[in-house]
Amino acid sequence: MNFDKELDARGLNCPLPILRAKKALNDMQSGQVLKIVATDPGSIKDFQTFSRQTGNELLSHAAAQKEFTFFMKRK
Amino acid sequence: MNEASPAQLVPYVTGGAFVLAFIFGAVGNKTNFCTMGAVSDWVNMGDTSRMRMWLLAIAVALLGSSALEAAGLIDLSKSIYPGPSFTWLSYLVGGFLFGVGMTLGSGCGSKTLIRVGAGNLKSLIVYVFLGIAAYMTLRGLFGAFRVGVLERAAITFPHGQDLPALFGLNRLVLASILGAAIIAWVYSSKAFRSSFDYTLGGVVTGLVVAGGWYVSGVIGHVAEDPNTLQEAFVATNTGRMESFSFVSPMAYTLEYLMFWTDKSRIVTYGIASALGVIAGSAAYALATRSFRWEGFRDAEDTANHVAGGVLMGFGGITALGCTIGQAITGFSTLALGSIVTFAAIVAGSAATMKYQYWRAG
Repeated sequence: MNFDKELDARGLNCPLPILRAKKALNDMQSGQVLKIVATDPGSIKDFQTFSRQTGNELLSHAAAQKEFTFFMKRK
Repeated sequence: MNEASPAQLVPYVTGGAFVLAFIFGAVGNKTNFCTMGAVSDWVNMGDTSRMRMWLLAIAVALLGSSALEAAGLIDLSKSIYPGPSFTWLSYLVGGFLFGVGMTLGSGCGSKTLIRVGAGNLKSLIVYVFLGIAAYMTLRGLFGAFRVGVLERAAITFPHGQDLPALFGLNRLVLASILGAAIIAWVYSSKAFRSSFDYTLGGVVTGLVVAGGWYVSGVIGHVAEDPNTLQEAFVATNTGRMESFSFVSPMAYTLEYLMFWTDKSRIVTYGIASALGVIAGSAAYALATRSFRWEGFRDAEDTANHVAGGVLMGFGGITALGCTIGQAITGFSTLALGSIVTFAAIVAGSAATMKYQYWRAG
C-alpha cells in the first residue's frame, strides 16, 4: 500500500504510539496516508479506537513477526 | 472473631490475597484494564470507555465494601485511609507525581505487575526502581522530605476524613446513591455497553477490592492478639485492615528478598498480592499464547521508565496509595484524601501526555 509518511513506533508502549501518530497526522494533508509500525500488543485496540473517535480511517492493519503495521488515512 | 492464633491465620490471609490478586492479574490482562490507558484514551482520543471501566470498579468496590460494613463484618475506619489527618499537600503532590510516573513508565503499579507477567522486561525495571524509591520514601532519604515537609501541611478532622463522618451521613445510604449514580453514568455509553470486557474488568476489579477487605478484615482479624493483647490484622505491613494497593507491597517484596534469611519476616498480604497479579497475568498470557518478551527501545525509553518508576514509588507512598490503592481501595472507604489523590493522579497523567504530545517529533 502506498503511503506518504511512516512512523516507527516499535518498542514504544501506550500512550506514545498514539501520541506520535496523532502528531504526525496533524502535520499531514487530508487524504494522505500514514504508515505506523508498532510492537505494543495494545496498539491494535488503541488504533481502532483512535480511528473511530477521530474519523481518521484505519485502512488496514496486519500483524507479522511480532510487529503490527497500520495504514491510516488523514481525514 | 477468630479464635485461631495469628500465626495459624497467616496462610489463609496470604493465600486469599494471592488468589484474589491472581484473578485480578488474569482479568486485567484479558480486558486491558489500565488506569493510565483510561486517561490516555480520554485525553488523546476523547474515548471514555476505559475511564468508565475504572469508575465501575470504584462503584462496585464502594458498594461491596459498604455492604460488608453494613453487615457488621468489617470496619472500614480500621484501614489507613479515613484517619483524622488530612495531609492535603501529600495527596496533591504525591498523586500528581504518581500520575506523571505512570505515564512515563507505561502504566501504574498494577499495570506494571500485569506487564511483568506478560513478559515485559521494561516493567521489571520499573518494578525495581519503583520498589527502591518507595522504600526510600517509607524509611530513607525521600521519607525525610515526605515527613518533614509535605506531611506538615495537614488538617485534622477529629471524627475522620471520610465523607460520612465529615457530613454526618449514613455510609450505606451515601455509598448506595454514589455507587448507583456512577454505574448509571458508566452504562449510559453505547461504546461501553458494546464490549463485555469493559464490564468484566470493572466488576471483577471492584469485587477483588471488596473481597480483599473481607480477607484482611474478617479472615485475618484477631480481636486480641495473645502476644500483644491488642487487636490485630494478620500478615499486614501496616498493622491495619488492608485491601489491594501495589506501591508499598512492591517495596516490601524487595525487602523480603533482601532479608530472606531473617526468619522473623514473612510473606505479607501485600507481597502475596503483588506476586498474585504477576502470576495471574502470566497464566493468562501463557494460556492465550500472548506472552512475549519486550525490552527497551533506546536510551530515552530507558530513562523514561526509570524516572517513571522512581516517581511512582515516591508519589505512591506520599499519597498513601496508587490508582488502585487510593483510587479504588481508598475510594471505597469514601475517604476525602482518596478522592483528592484520584483527581491529582489523573491531572498528573493528563499533563504529562500533553507534554509528550508537544514534544513528539
